[in-house]
Amino acid sequence: MTTRSAPNSIATEQTYWEDVRVGDAIDGYDLSLTWTKMAEQVSGSQDFYPVHHDPEFAAEAGHPAIFYNTGWTQAALCRVVTDWAGPSGWMSKFRFEMRRMNIPDDQVHARGKVVGKSNLDDAHGVVDLEVWLENDRLGVTTPGWATVRLPKRS
Amino acid sequence: MARSTGTYDIEAVRSEWLGRTTEVVRGRYPVEYDSIRRHCHMVEDTNPLFLDPEYGESSVHGAVIAPPVMTRYFAGAGVWPPTTDNPMNIVREVPTRGERMINLNTEWEYVLPARVGDHLSQQTEVTDIFEKSIKLDPRSVWIVTETRITNQHSELVAIGTNTLCTHRTPEQVEAEEGERPL
Repeated sequence: MTTRSAPNSIATEQTYWEDVRVGDAIDGYDLSLTWTKMAEQVSGSQDFYPVHHDPEFAAEAGHPAIFYNTGWTQAALCRVVTDWAGPSGWMSKFRFEMRRMNIPDDQVHARGKVVGKSNLDDAHGVVDLEVWLENDRLGVTTPGWATVRLPKRS
Repeated sequence: MARSTGTYDIEAVRSEWLGRTTEVVRGRYPVEYDSIRRHCHMVEDTNPLFLDPEYGESSVHGAVIAPPVMTRYFAGAGVWPPTTDNPMNIVREVPTRGERMINLNTEWEYVLPARVGDHLSQQTEVTDIFEKSIKLDPRSVWIVTETRITNQHSELVAIGTNTLCTHRTPEQVEAEEGERPL
C-alpha cells in the first residue's frame, strides 16, 4: 500500500535564525477569492454563519457582499508564518486585527516582514514578524503579528 | 450579554466576577487529520507537517500536528452549530450596561503543538472588567478573559487572551446619560 504524500511545499525548507535580518521581506503567497474558494472557507472553518456564504443574508445585514470569516483569515495569516519558519520553527505568539473585509473576486496577497530578532538560548533564537493580508480594492485588510522560535545552525 | 436594568455598579461587578473560572471542558473530538486537511485546503496550504503522516513522524514533533491557530477549534465543541450550553459563554453572563458587543482583540501564546490523537481541553477565567469611554458609549464595559488549553496529559498547549467591548445602543445611551453619543 502506498501513502499519498502532500505536494511539495516551501514549508519543508528550514529557516535558520542566523540567516534572518530585520527588514527581510517574506514573499508569502496569493489567493484568488473565487466562489469555489468561498465554499472551501466554509468547509475548512466549519463556520456556517450565512453572512459568509449567502449574499442575500449579507445584504439584509447591511454588508456590501459576503465576507471571508475569522477562521479563514487566521489560517491565511498563519500559513505565511509556518511556510516561512520551516519544519523546526515554531510560532509561539500570534495576534491579528480584522479591520477590513475580503470579499468574492478579491485578489488577496498574504505577505510579511521581519521586524525584530533576539537570542533565546544556545540552540534557538526568536524572530518577530509583521504579517498581513491585502487585497487589490482596499490595500491592507488584516494586519497581524507573530513571534517565531527558530533553530540555530550551530 | 447580561444587560443590567438597574443601577450599574462596576466595582460590584468586578468584585463578583473577577477570577471567576469555568470548569475544564474537554473538546468534542480529538485532534484529527481530516479537519486539518480541510483547514489547510481553504488557504492552499500544502505544508506536510500538517498533512503527511510519514513526514510528521520523522519531524521534530513526531506526528502530524495541527496548525497552531486550530488549537482552539479542537479544544471546543466545534464552530457549528452554535451551542447554548457551552461553559465558555461565561463572558456573556457578566452584567454589562449594553448588549451590543465588539470582539476587539485576541492574542495567543502557543506553548506545545497539538498532535493528531491529542485530546484538548479548555478553561476560561474572567481576568479584567473595566469601563472605558468610546465614541458609541461614554461608559462601555470591557471584559478580558484568559483561556488556557491543555492536552490529555494536563500539559499547557496554549493561552489566549480575549478583549471584548460591550456597549449600549445610541437610544439607550441617550436615555441613561441624557445625551446622544456622537
